[in-house]
Order: sequence, then C-alpha cells, then structure tokens
Amino acid sequence: MTMDSETLVDYARSLDCIHCGLCLDTCPTYQLTGRESSSPRGRIHLMRAVAEDRIEANADFAEEMDFCLVCRHCESVCPAGVEFGAMMEFTRDALATRARPGPLARLARWLGFRVVLPSRRWLRLTVTLLGLAQRTGALRIAAPLLGLRGRMLASFPRVPSRAERTPLPASTPAQGPARESAAVLEGCVMPELYGRVNRATVRSLAAAGVESRCAPDHVCCGALHAHNGDLAGARTLARGTIAAFDALVDDSGAPLPIVVNSAGCGAHMKEYGRLLADDPEWRERAAAFGARTRDFAEFLAEPERRERLTAALREAADSAPTRPTTYDDPCHLCHGQGIRSEPRALLDCIPGVELLELEDAESCCGSAGIYSLLRPQDSQDVLDSKLAALRASGAEVLVTANPGCQLQWESGIRRAAMDVEVVHLAEVVARAIDGSGD
Amino acid sequence: MDRRTLDRLASIVGEAGIVADRMRRLAYESDGLTLEREMPELVLLPRDTDETARCMRVLHEAGIPVVPRGAGTGLSGGATPVPGGVTIGTARMRDVLEVNASDRYAIVQAGVVNIAISRACAKHGLFYAPDPSSQKACTIGGNVAENAGGPHCFRYGSTTRHVLGLVIVTAEGEVLDLSHPVADPDGYDLIGLFTGSEGMFGLATEITIQLTPMPAATQTLLAIFPSLDAACESVTDIIAARLEPSAIEILDKLTIQAVEASVFAAGYPTDAEAVLLLDIEGGELEVETTVKGIEPILARHGRLELRSARDAEERERLWAGRKGAFGAMGRIAPDLYVADVVVPRTRLREIVRLATDECTKRGLKMSNVFHAGDGNLHPNISYDRRDPDEVERVLAAGRAIMQACVDVGGSLTGEHGVGLEKQEQMKLLFSPADLAAMDLARVALDPDRRMNPGKMLPLRACMETRTRPIPGGMRAEEARP
Ligand SMILES: Cc1cc2nc3c(=O)[nH]c(=O)nc-3n(C[C@H](O)[C@H](O)[C@H](O)COP(=O)(O)OP(=O)(O)OC[C@H]3O[C@@H](n4cnc5c(N)ncnc54)[C@H](O)[C@@H]3O)c2cc1C
Ligand code: SF4
Ligand code: SF4
Repeated sequence: MTMDSETLVDYARSLDCIHCGLCLDTCPTYQLTGRESSSPRGRIHLMRAVAEDRIEANADFAEEMDFCLVCRHCESVCPAGVEFGAMMEFTRDALATRARPGPLARLARWLGFRVVLPSRRWLRLTVTLLGLAQRTGALRIAAPLLGLRGRMLASFPRVPSRAERTPLPASTPAQGPARESAAVLEGCVMPELYGRVNRATVRSLAAAGVESRCAPDHVCCGALHAHNGDLAGARTLARGTIAAFDALVDDSGAPLPIVVNSAGCGAHMKEYGRLLADDPEWRERAAAFGARTRDFAEFLAEPERRERLTAALREAADSAPTRPTTYDDPCHLCHGQGIRSEPRALLDCIPGVELLELEDAESCCGSAGIYSLLRPQDSQDVLDSKLAALRASGAEVLVTANPGCQLQWESGIRRAAMDVEVVHLAEVVARAIDGSGD
Repeated sequence: MDRRTLDRLASIVGEAGIVADRMRRLAYESDGLTLEREMPELVLLPRDTDETARCMRVLHEAGIPVVPRGAGTGLSGGATPVPGGVTIGTARMRDVLEVNASDRYAIVQAGVVNIAISRACAKHGLFYAPDPSSQKACTIGGNVAENAGGPHCFRYGSTTRHVLGLVIVTAEGEVLDLSHPVADPDGYDLIGLFTGSEGMFGLATEITIQLTPMPAATQTLLAIFPSLDAACESVTDIIAARLEPSAIEILDKLTIQAVEASVFAAGYPTDAEAVLLLDIEGGELEVETTVKGIEPILARHGRLELRSARDAEERERLWAGRKGAFGAMGRIAPDLYVADVVVPRTRLREIVRLATDECTKRGLKMSNVFHAGDGNLHPNISYDRRDPDEVERVLAAGRAIMQACVDVGGSLTGEHGVGLEKQEQMKLLFSPADLAAMDLARVALDPDRRMNPGKMLPLRACMETRTRPIPGGMRAEEARP
C-alpha cells in the first residue's frame, strides 16, 4: 500500500465487506446500469483494489465514485455492517483534494460550499436572484442554453415571496402549558425555499406542548460538504453548529434536544461524533450533540408527545377525509437514521388520513443533496421509476420529510405533468391542527 | 481480442452493454468465493435472447471462451472469469415477461432476481418456492445453473423441481427454445439436464418457472437449545416421526452472535449454543397438528425455550436473521469460506464435530449454519485472504471435511455447485469413466468446450480444456468501444 492509495481509501472499513452481494439490487445506480462497478459491492471492491495498489485511482474510478448517490440504501441491507456512507465521504474528499478540476469547476465549488451555503445573506441573495429570473421569464429564456440543467432549473418550484422567506422567531411558545423546550434547526436553504415547512414544524411542536427555540446566527450543518468531498469545510461547520446549539439550554442549564426536519441534515448531525473523532477538543461534545439530535418524526412519535399531539389533533379535527396520501421514505431518514415507522405513526394520528402504500418507498428519488444539479440526467433516470410507482399508487398527496426530496419530487411531478401535491410531514400535521388542509 | 471482434460486439450491445476498461472489469474478477480471481477480457451485458445469441456467434467465430454470470453471488467460483474469456452478465435482462396466475407459471428473463418473482406474483396469492438465502440478490439464471436450494426446499424441492421451460443460447450462438408452460414435456428432459450445469451447457436467457400457491397457514417456531447436539437430535426425531415442517434450519452460537450484531438482528438469544428455526406450513389444521407433534420432541431434547412468531412481521424478522447469516460473518473476518456438504441426516452430529475438530486443530474460526432437514451443512470458516498461510489451512480443512462427508456416504455440494472450488474433489466421488461420460454430455451441447471452461470437471481426469489466452491480450485503451 502506498501513501497515496492509503489516503484515498478508508481501507479498514473496506475490509468489512464480505462480497456477499446482498446490497446489489437495492442500489439505484446498479439498477440503472446492471454494472458491477456501479454497485456498492463493486465500488468497495474497487476502493480496496486501489488501497492494495492493484489499480490506479484513474478517471474511471472517480466517475464510479461520483455516480453514487450516497443514498446509503446499501447500508440498510448489509449484514456485515459496512459503513458505506463514511467510506464514500472519505474517498470523495481525497479525490477532490487530489484531482485538480478545471478552474471553473473549482470556482463553482468554492462559491457554493465556502461562500453561499454558510452565509444567510448569500443564500438569500442567490434565491432572490433565482426568484427574479423565474418571475421575469429570464429563466425560461436562458434555460435552453443551459441544456438539461437548465430544464431542471426551469421546473424548479416557484421561489416563495419575500414575505414568506422570514426566519423563525427565537422562541415559539407551546400551545397550552409548556412541557419542555427543544432547539429547532432552521437549515440553510430551508428558510429560503421552505419557510412554510419550518413554520409547520414549530406549529406541530407547539401543539405537542413543546416550546421551540432557534439558534439565531446558525446557517449550515455541513452535510452537503461532507457528502461532496469537502470534509474540512464540513468539520468547520460542524464545530460552529455544535457551539451554536450548545448555547441553547433549559432552565437547569442542560442543553436542549435538537429537532431536525431535514433528513439529510439530521443523519449527518447524528454522526458528528465520527466526523470529529480525531479532534480531541471537540470529540466528546460532538458525540453528545449527535446523541441529542432527533428527527422531527422521531421526536414527536415518542409516546408522551404523541399523546399530547393526538389530543390536540382530536380537538382540532374536522376529520374530513383527506385526498389519497402516500409517504416516501427519504434515504437519509430510513437508511441513514433507521427511521421508518415513526413518520407513518404520525400520519396515523391524523384523523381522516388514509395512507396508501408506495412501492419501493425506501429507494432513492435521485435528489441526493446536490446530485440533481451535478448529474441531472442520472438524477432524472433514478426518479423515473419512482414517478411510475407514484402513479401506480393512486396518491394525490405525497408526503416526504426532507427538503431535497421535496424539491426533486416537485420538479419531477411538474415535468411529468402529474397532479400530485408534495408536502412535508410537518405540513400535514400543522394543517390538520389548523384545519387549513383539504 | 482483435479490434474487429470488439467492434462487432459493441455494435450489438451498444455502449451501455459493454464493460471494457480495466478498472471496471476488475469489479468482475470474482463471485462470492473471493479466493479465486481472474480478470475478464471483456464483459458484455446484453438485453435479451437475440443480443445474447448474436454476441455468442461472434465469440464462437473468434474462438473466445465465455463465462455466464448472474449476480455473482455464487460461492464456488462458477462465475469466476477464465483467462482470455468474455464474461456475459444477465444484469440487464431483468424483465418479468409474463405471469400466468391461472396456469401458475411465470416467464422471466434470466437476470431477474429470485425475490422479484415472488413480488411480481404475490397479488395472485402465488410465490416462487426455492428461496436461497441470497434470494434478494441472486438471479433465476444463476439458480438454474446451480440448481439452487434454500431453507424451504425441504418441502418444495430445489430449483430443478420448479423449472418448466428454458430458452438457451448455445456456445455456437444457436437459440434452443425449450419453453413449456406444462411440466414434463415429451422427449428427453433437456431442462433437467441443463439445470445444475453451472454455465457449461449454454446461457439461459428466458426461464419459465412454476409458481406455488401461498400456504393457508404458516407457523414459525424458534427453539433454543443448550447444545448443538440436542438441536441436531431433535431434527432426526422430527423427521423420524414423519412430521413435515417446510424448513428446518440450525444456527450455532457464533453465527447467532454475528447475526444479532447486524442489521438483521432477529432476537435470537446470544448465549444459546444453538437455535432451531422451523416453518410449518399448510392448512390450519395441518399446521396445528404438526406443531403439536413437534413440541414434545423439542422438549424431550431439552430445549430451553420455544418461541412462536406472533405475526408476519416477526416471522419475517426471524428468517431475515437466518438469511443474513453469511454476510453477518463479515464482522468476524474479511472473508468466509462456505463448505456445502451433504450427509445422511443421522450423521449430522458426527460431521459437525469432525468439522469443528478439523478447524480447531488448524487454528481456524468456524461457525455452522445448516439446512438440517436436508442434511446439508455449511461449516463456515472465517479467514483473511491476505494471509496465505491461513488460506492454505482453510483449504486443507475444507478438503478434510469433504473427504469425511464422502466417506460417510454424503456428497460435496448440496446447492452451491462445484465450480472451481470442489473440482479436484470430484475425483473422490467419480471414476475417470464417470467424468468422461459427463464430459460427453457437455460436448454434445458445446463441442469446443468454450462455455465456462475449466470448471466442475477436474482438469486432468478426462480432458484438456481448450482455453487459451488470447494472443497479445487487450489493453484498456484498445478495448474502449
Ligand atoms: C449470502 C449468500 C447466501 C447463499 N445462500 C444460498 C442458499 O441458501 N442456497 C443456494 O443454493 N445457494 C446459496 N448461495 C449461493 C448462490 O447465491 C447461488 O448459487 C445462486 O444460485 C447464484 O446465483 P447468481 O445469480 O449469483 O449466479 P452467479 O454466481 O453469477 O453464477 C453462478 C453460476 O451460474 C452460471 N450462470 C449464471 N447465470 C447463468 C445463465 N443465465 N445461464 C447459464 N449459466 C448461468 C455461472 O456461470 C456460474 O457458474 C448463497 C450465496 C450467498 C452469497
Ligand atoms: S451487503 Fe455488505 S458485505 Fe455484502 S457485498 Fe454488500 S457491502 Fe459487501
Ligand atoms: S449509497 Fe446508494 S448509490 Fe451509492 S452504492 Fe450505496 S446504494 Fe448505490
């Protein structure tokens, strides 16, 4: 093993794979191509071969690593407990540092990861520009010039009006007597595109007797950085996130549980302990932070909160039947966090909701963070079979629990000219409470 | 491979159907038996019978050996590439072509994953019965080629009992259509002959399989035992009492511990020496009486606890644990050697003990899972292929176990096939004349012995295989279509 190959692959983790193949059929890129090198087992095999100096990490290798959606479906079915997501983050980071992409790509990366994502002001500006382009029709005109990526952008959901793009208040009181407080992650893109989801989140928490608090200056958790080969950036943002949330404490001075309504962020934040394992100063705080992070559904599905929420729902309910509804598991919720029954249990609490099964609900929709922007064609190909499943389900409302998936579904449904509304789980709950649903 | 051949192949399967660069080809160098590795010259992924046949004709003209490959979950090196050979994978032949619920058959392409068949016909109350533990990944084509078994094959029989028809592409590129939606067609049973031929008689592209009605009732029992012997003895007694569960599986302590540490944790008690997992299926009454018959037998052999799955979900979990057992061993060492011997059921205990001794004395870690009902045991030996000395010890233990099984009247393989791994041991069971007869059957279909050469039949026993490396080999750049 040379120094070089060693730094490219998380060799110890690659040895966990016993080559049984049980992960093959779950992998979206293997489904698309039937190619072993585009399967989890194949990718691990190639990583290991690189580490053992049997092959060179050439452009073909980098391409197969890039093609992966890091959906982590393979992890959910791997009996040997291979930590594929962690391995892929490692390799991508090493490839990004080593390979010198063209100056334009480098600039775009730097702008995206280091400038825009971590800054509220830049995010706002970017989204405002996008909204402007949508409203003036500039996007429609420019789209064809940008090829497929342009078409993706053109089917992007409408940017909400400025009034809707306001941050959450520092505190949202519980409805009735407050039983407890929780810190809520607002997220980077979330307040700009899905402020309504954030509002629905605190509304639902309030109904369950939970006061919501926000970390006012916090922006980005760094999940996108970690998944896309910028571990250094991810670590910096993780430290910032921990510091911001450690400052939110209850009356006894204990840090608050952190509620996350974005599956990708939640999965990443729960793993801060691993991300900062080599940082003696932050290691323990990071692990403790991860342990208090909860997904929205996970938090509310815990018995006591669920009881309180159910009571509130019963009071509010005009239990009129809703339109046929289905739930699609975000990858980083079901595979990343093992959360499957909780969102369904929450939907179950809502009078009138009848849940239809969505075939292969646990398979990736192709959103995969910024994958849909980086590889628009592959992303759409992955979504195609999901759209077919949605059509077959007969649902008119699709519930998800992750902003990336929500975006991807909304664009895909629009392109396919289907009539299905996409909502976040929190929106379903909040609508049921306030009766503003259908 | 010469440029012209390559271009012709590429024009048949298109860019998406060809894997030519060195890096990607490397991913195909082995199946589940990672000890045996070889770089394929080229990998082709045709989409249907026609493309396959056209490729095979080109390869026939060029005299290039062919290795069929399904999902590469085989455990005997059946899909390991051969030097200078082309691997033809069925991973892009994944369509369920027809499900006929009233005549209870389905026609599927060879690359359809075993479990996908059951999924496709579930709404008709039917399923595909053979259930190898790899069923979520392995293909029906691979199942036919290996005559795969599975836990429930105790009741339903292995793959060969469920294949009604085949479309085969021969080594010369001829399409042999043996599709019949009815069992037992006239003439020689070519389908029976093909099933278990390990890719040496041709490449199956379409398969007509029989579907089985789901049983009205199923009960899953998990009995926990203080010793492996006690678990084995109860199996012998259950069968002697003419009770017929549909699946009878035993897992030993090490396996239980590995499974419980995995995502497939099934709730097996980790301090038990062995668990016995039983499925009893049939009509309500039949299930009830069988369970009543089994319970006292388990008690007599000192079972510590007996659990009965309360619902489908728990049943699923108990079985998922069993089926994840191979992979779960990845927690113990990077590689696993799975022996696949069969012995008369009454000799199970004796062989388990012997296998344990053979491993202990060589300092190897062994765990046991077995299809106890069929007398098919899988002593699983954990190892690390980077340690040549350990590899040697594993192979020696494997040989000793196979020899012992043959000695008590058993056989080398219950379901995983001979492949590369057990080739030499074929001589323990068969005389040179037997082997020559087998070779005759093969040359009837593949006169040049170009299909999966160098597998199954021991090399020196009957003939020289005609694989020859392709002169000059192929460089990655040249190979790019
Ligand atoms: C975790 C695990 C559990 C397993 N459990 C079982 C079990 O319970 N029972 C059991 O029987 N086996 C089991 N196996 C072994 C393996 O899954 C079976 O042998 C399976 O049938 C192989 O299918 P495959 O598609 O992976 O074929 P491959 O491994 O790709 O190929 C197997 C053989 O079939 C040939 N072949 C493949 N496709 C075709 C085709 N279309 N036409 C002609 N020849 C073809 C190949 O040349 C090769 O010789 C297990 C393996 C693993 C990894
Ligand atoms: S399921 Fe796990 S052990 Fe098996 S091949 Fe895939 S990654 Fe490797
Ligand atoms: S993370 Fe998803 S896309 Fe990547 S190898 Fe695993 S299953 Fe395939």
